[in-house]
Parts: sequence; structure tokens; C-alpha cells
Amino acid sequence: MRLIATRLVRQLVLVPVVAVASYYLMAALPLTTESDTKRQVSPELAASYQRDLGIGEPLGFLRPWQKLFAGERLGTSAQGITGDELLQKLSGSVGVGLVALPLALAWALAFALMRTRWRRGRWAVLGDALPAIAFGTPVFIPALLLAPAVVERGHLLPELCAAVVIAIWPGTFLGTLVGDALETELSRDYVRTALSKGLDPGTVMRRHVLPNVWPALLDAVTPVATALLAGSFAAERVFGLPYFGQLYVLAVLNKQVAVVVVSTTTFATVLVVVSLTVELLRVLVDPRAREARA
Amino acid sequence: MRRVPLRAWVGLVLLVGLGVLSLVAGRLFPESLAQTCPLGWDLNRPDRSVCELAFGGLWVSLAVGLAAGALSTVLGLGVAALARLSGGVTEQVLLRAVDAVFALPDVLVVMVLQLAGQSLMDAGHGVGLGPFGLMVASLALVGWAGPARMFRDRLATLEGQEYVAAARALGGGGVHVLRVHLWPLLRPFVLAVFLSRLPSAILTESTVSFFGIARMEPMSLGRYLGTSYAALIYEGGGRVVLPAWGLLVLLVLGASLASQALGGGPRRQV
Repeated sequence: MRLIATRLVRQLVLVPVVAVASYYLMAALPLTTESDTKRQVSPELAASYQRDLGIGEPLGFLRPWQKLFAGERLGTSAQGITGDELLQKLSGSVGVGLVALPLALAWALAFALMRTRWRRGRWAVLGDALPAIAFGTPVFIPALLLAPAVVERGHLLPELCAAVVIAIWPGTFLGTLVGDALETELSRDYVRTALSKGLDPGTVMRRHVLPNVWPALLDAVTPVATALLAGSFAAERVFGLPYFGQLYVLAVLNKQVAVVVVSTTTFATVLVVVSLTVELLRVLVDPRAREARA
Repeated sequence: MRRVPLRAWVGLVLLVGLGVLSLVAGRLFPESLAQTCPLGWDLNRPDRSVCELAFGGLWVSLAVGLAAGALSTVLGLGVAALARLSGGVTEQVLLRAVDAVFALPDVLVVMVLQLAGQSLMDAGHGVGLGPFGLMVASLALVGWAGPARMFRDRLATLEGQEYVAAARALGGGGVHVLRVHLWPLLRPFVLAVFLSRLPSAILTESTVSFFGIARMEPMSLGRYLGTSYAALIYEGGGRVVLPAWGLLVLLVLGASLASQALGGGPRRQV
């Protein structure tokens, strides 16, 4: 229990650290424009920028959050957002991620089983080639290949396509991991004993092998969640989905620093929540984790 | 006798081959490549051929990956050595910092660092860093955490060996043990970690450049694909996308094969 509490505190500390670090990084930036002709920033814009970030005010680093919770618009122009809009956009991205997660898990399981079956056949090379292609392909490439059908002709649902596209890398990663874990477990003595006692292979897999594979799968969920959310940035950009990833990229491009601070911290919070959920699930699912923590 | 595994050779040959090809085709003789390119001219830049832009982009992506991979490996090694030499609270604080940086996605942090760096450059405080230097610095600032964690763990394992205890008992200081006894064993692992950073740096750079946030000039593969965005959707996209994608996959494949094989440790021939 104490170890879980320590882990919880360690994870939660990340949120204020990210909030303060991103605030001071942004607040330290000189106010400029990209164009030389517009290098001179108007006093009104400079004042608006300083108000937006609370620069020079006591406890100024809380200013973006104060505005957010008061329902005011963050940012120095019409491209800014309110807290409600931020939540709406975040829920859009999380929704796409939640659709992508079962797709990634299904693909991972199918790939792991195929890889286990292929490992001695003539298709064995595919077990190595598919991950190599998937790991070497940034999310925006499959998105671009699908884009004509989705954006121009409107044949497919953009959200579903985004989920399919961002599930490829995490699915392959999980599949490789689960495949290796399956291979290790299948070669153990307890599997041979169960089979020699007359249990059918399906039951051995379901009752004995899979419970030993779940921990490896759970350990990989946090990096997979990061990959799904980060991948949604590119997919949203290509498919024109107006969610959190698109908001973040536009905030960086338009130098909406208060929006960047709040969005970065929100993103870190989502990852911390995922990580803590996985930690708790691990304790529930894996008796060895409970014993280690006792 | 130690021998390098075949997979590592394949990866290294692929990497070196792509490097030489991009240098020759993209940098030394771009005109002859432009004349003979079977893929035709680029849709957005009618004066440049697809081959010229793809191989030029490959050269930039490879250079960014190598520089950022090397810098993040050196930074990670420095942090790991500092952690092990200091020990105690300093090591714990450094490890927590490593975990915090490692928890954040590379693409997100690199975007923020690009925004910061570009604002400084626009204000004339770029300290001589161009877009290339800024991208390498951003990737290194994000990428040091993974190598630092791996080097620290490897050093802790190596320090548990008896000959290290003997060296310490004979009066060897921390820096001496690190330099004379641990470094020779750590070297192949450093090379493997450097190669493993390479694909990650290349993919992150490609994604950030694709968003149009990095102002890489000459264009990397990611920026090339990002600037051809509209044309890719509406006409003849495959002709532009597929060669650049293929080069990116081959580059990442080469680095992954080499790092996986070297990371597994050299095999002892019986």
C-alpha cells in the first residue's frame, strides 16, 4: 500500500512540475513576430500577452488557470479558447483514442497469434518485416494515403479512419511484445504438463498462458496511450478533425502561449491518469504485483 | 573471438548505403539526378524533381538523426555517470528528473522547444543556432532521458562485479573505476543506445516538420511531405509520398536492425 502511495505521489508531482516549467519557459520568451516588417509589436498586443500570462503579477503562474476556471477566453486573439471548448476538444481526441485502443488490442492479439504460428514456417520473415515497416512509418503517412478517400470524396468516417491509422504502431508494438511473451510462456514446463494431462490447447491458452501474459500487456499500456494521443495530433491534422491535437498544433504555430501551457499540462494529466489506472489494474490482475507491494 | 551478428551488419550496411546514396544523389550531383529522375517533377516546386527532393530530404533527416542521437547519447551518458558518481539523494533526484522527462511524449515537447527556440531566434538571441541546430538541440533535450536511464542501470549492474569491488578495495576512485574498468564494457552498449536513438529522432523530426512547426531548410523528408500536403490529397500523391516513405522506412529499419542486434550483445564464437 505504501509503495502504491509513493508511486501515486511520484506520478502526481509530474503535473505541477509540467505546469510550472511550461509556464516559465513560455513567460521567458521574447514577444516577436515571424515577419521582419511586423517585428515591432504594438503596445496593445504586448499588454494583452502580459495580461494573458499574468506576467509581473503576484502568483502570475496561476493566471492561465484562473482564466480557465473563470470561463474566460485563453489566448491573445480569436484563436484562443475557453475551458469548455478545451474539454470538448480533449474529449474528441480521447474518444478517437478510445476507439483506437480496442483496434490496437485486436490487431496486437491477432498479430501475436499469427507470429507464434508463423515462427517456424515460410511466413516467419513477415513476423519481422511487419514491425519494421510499422515502426519506420510515422502516423501521417498512412493518414495521407487514406486522406483522398476521407477528405476529398467523403467515403469514410474521418474519426474512424484516424483511429485505424493511429492504432497501427501501438498494435504492432503490443503484438510484438505479446508474441514474445506468448512464445516464452508456451515453452514452459507447466504448459507441457497441462497438455500431457489431456487439456485441450484452447483451454491451456485461456486458463494458464494468458493470465501470465496480461502483466506484460499492461506494462505496455502507458507507452501505448502516449503513442495513441501523440499519434492523434498527426491524424487530426491530416483529416481536419477539430480536436485537441489540432488545437495544440495551431496554438504552437500561432504562439498562443497560455493555450500551450494549459494544453501541455492537460496532456500530462491525462497520461498520469492512464498510468495510475494501469498501476491499479496491475495490482488487481497480477497476484505477483500484490505480493511485491505487500 | 567476438563477431558482429549478421543482422547488425545488414542494418549498418543499409545505414551507410543510404548515407552514401543521399550524399552522392542529394548533395554532390543533384543536377544529374534531376535529369534522370523517373518520378518526374514535384507538384509544388516545378523546378525540382521528386528524386532530388527525396534524396536531399534523406540527407537532412539522416544528419539530424545522427547529430541528435549522438548528442542525446552523450547527455544521457553524462547524467548517468554523474548519478552513479554522486549516489544518494543526488542520484534519486536525477532519476526522478529522468522519469519526468521520459513520461512526456517527444513530439509534444519538441513542438514547445521549437516554439521557444524560434521566438528567441526571431528576437536575435539564437546564439548562432539555425533551424538545423535548433532541431538537433530540441531532440537532444527530449531524448537524453531514455539513454540516461539505460546507462545508469547498466553501470549499476557492472559495478556489482567482483573486479570492480577489487579495484575499489585497492584504492581506485569513482572516476578511475568508471574510466578504466567500466567504460570498455560499456562501449558496445553506448553504440547500441546511440543507434536506437537514431530512428526515434528521425521520426520525431519528421512529424514536427510535417506539422510545419520546424523551419528546416533544406527540407527534411518530413517537411517535404508536409509542404506537399495539399497536392498529395488532390492529385498524384503516391508518386510523391511513396519514395519519401520508402526512404524513411529503410532508414529506420537500418538503424533498428543495427541497434537491436548490437543491443543483444556480441556473440561468442564457439
